[in-house]
Amino acid sequence: MLFGCDVADPVSAIEAMDFVHADTRLSVIGKLIRQLHIDTVVHLAVMVDAAHGERSVHETDVIGTMNVLVGCAAPSSPVRRLVVKSSQAIYGAGANDPSFFSEEMINWDKTTSGLTRDLLEMEQLVSEFALRNESCGVTVLRLGSRVSEDTSLARYLSLPVVPTFAGFDPRLQLLHEDDAADVIVRATVGDHSGAFNVAGDGVVLLSQAIDIMGGRAAPILPPYARWFSRLALRLLAGVDVPAHLADMIAFGSVMDCSRLAADFGWRPAYSSRSAMDALALGKQVELIEAPSPQQEYELQVYLQQRRRRERQLSN
Amino acid sequence: MIAERSSAERRRNSRKAEIVAPPPGFRLPKPIRRFQRQAPMYALQAIGALAVRLRELTGRDVIDVGRIMEVVQFIYQQRELARRGSNYAVDDFGFDPQWTESFLNVFKALYHDYWRVETTGAEHIPASGRALLVANHAGVLPWDGTMIKTAVFVEHPHPRHVRALVASQFMGMPVMSWFLRRTGQAVGHPDDTRRLLERDELVLVFPEGTRGTGKSFRDRYRLRRFGRGGFVATAIRAQAPIIPVSVVGSEEIYPMVGDLAPVARLFGLPYFPITPFWPWLGPLGIIPLPSKWRIQFHPPVEVAHLPLKAAEDQHLVMALADDVRDTIQRGIYENLKLRRGVFL
Repeated sequence: MLFGCDVADPVSAIEAMDFVHADTRLSVIGKLIRQLHIDTVVHLAVMVDAAHGERSVHETDVIGTMNVLVGCAAPSSPVRRLVVKSSQAIYGAGANDPSFFSEEMINWDKTTSGLTRDLLEMEQLVSEFALRNESCGVTVLRLGSRVSEDTSLARYLSLPVVPTFAGFDPRLQLLHEDDAADVIVRATVGDHSGAFNVAGDGVVLLSQAIDIMGGRAAPILPPYARWFSRLALRLLAGVDVPAHLADMIAFGSVMDCSRLAADFGWRPAYSSRSAMDALALGKQVELIEAPSPQQEYELQVYLQQRRRRERQLSN
Repeated sequence: MIAERSSAERRRNSRKAEIVAPPPGFRLPKPIRRFQRQAPMYALQAIGALAVRLRELTGRDVIDVGRIMEVVQFIYQQRELARRGSNYAVDDFGFDPQWTESFLNVFKALYHDYWRVETTGAEHIPASGRALLVANHAGVLPWDGTMIKTAVFVEHPHPRHVRALVASQFMGMPVMSWFLRRTGQAVGHPDDTRRLLERDELVLVFPEGTRGTGKSFRDRYRLRRFGRGGFVATAIRAQAPIIPVSVVGSEEIYPMVGDLAPVARLFGLPYFPITPFWPWLGPLGIIPLPSKWRIQFHPPVEVAHLPLKAAEDQHLVMALADDVRDTIQRGIYENLKLRRGVFL
């Protein structure tokens, strides 16, 4: 039996799922889990794009996750598997960083701000939970930057003239939405505990990405005082570039996904380059009719894939 | 079966051929445009004729036509590269070999004509497989890195790209950050070294770091401390032979007589050099002096026989690092003796 849970209605009707209106920021989740005897919790209500305002990101990511964990951690809890969505943004991006981040390279004491700090706090909660509840397998998926149509990065890259930091052309690593949905399904049905970097093979340079999108790169932003450039972009171009994204388009951030390949025995079908091409072709979103919040999308794709499979079985 | 269409139908369905009109605006008359197209050819012919004439008059090559052809080739290569658009692939480190090789002619000219580099021991570099090149670092700007890279490409029977490791401060500098990455450099982080070696690359490290490049002229050819021997530990873990490299000549390209530390701090630089020409002559002060260079590649120090946990043995690591340092220092003194003068 499958239960969906969100603050908003699901955008498309989903069979074989009972839907509950619930907010992860309230303790109702715990009651649901106990009363419905949920054995697997897939926690996707984690904002990995800070475009919705830093306050609500903190509330959702840290307080929301805390509530979900409290709900799962109750004595005699039926939960045996917990899958948590996280993001590449947890590593931050800086000139001093190594060329590749592997899973243990998290800088816990980095004085960061915004999304990176919230994600650090969230993963700390999750790792504490994993230590205390050994009966429950915990999978953390650090998803690479995605360029579906409603992420900050995609909006930034889709500008006709893309202002970039003068003298910087960083490497970007991207993850296609279908692969993101795929890896969540694999983590849910599989048995892989720990944190995993998930991103497409290879890298694509920022200048290449802009060229693929058909825009023109304008290296006009001063490389220092990035908050100033962010303000200018918001006021002049109408694009909100969160702090972690500003660091990324200056220095780039690339993850090492070898642990995923070894443990899951699976690699994303789209490379960074082909994810970019897919965005340029506008073939990205084929399942969803209306734009929806990100955490919903993944659930929907999962449920639709499941429904398709069931239909195939019954035929 | 394909149905035959009547000629009237064909005429109806066929699209009218579009007449390609010249773009609006001012255009030069046709003969002048033709001349514009052919001007480079005429110029080359004229230079060729002039070169022949001068050789007849003076009896030696005043104009080197081959060199001019290299310049022309370089310009055409750059135009070809600009035409790639975004259809090229870089490796995971951001290295673009094709783009890097297009600059090779420039660096070869510096190598052969400007610094007249003499390289010995290139046979010690393996034709394939991993190796860690360890070199002394000098000169305010890392020209020694470019010359070692060029030396491996020019002197080795199997030209290979050397991947140098650079201080992370350079990765935070505009222009430097993308130029270094695009030409195959990586951050001087143990993890990057390991990854490059595991890909069987030739990796170049300067254990002296900015302590070496920022030393003053009177300390020339005296090696600084070799870090904490981290490069040895990485080489042992990756089972990569260490090849010491001595570079002579790089110390004289910018004779650094002083260091304005407060200015350096202001711009976030490791040092702000004062030379006889910089900053007095402005941009002209960046032109390096044409000293005579020698590069010697020493026989490799094998570490494959050591167990992996030898990398944790600090005593062994420091002893090996000192050995490598001594080899380089000895090589420097020998090559200084072989050099007739600073600029000869």
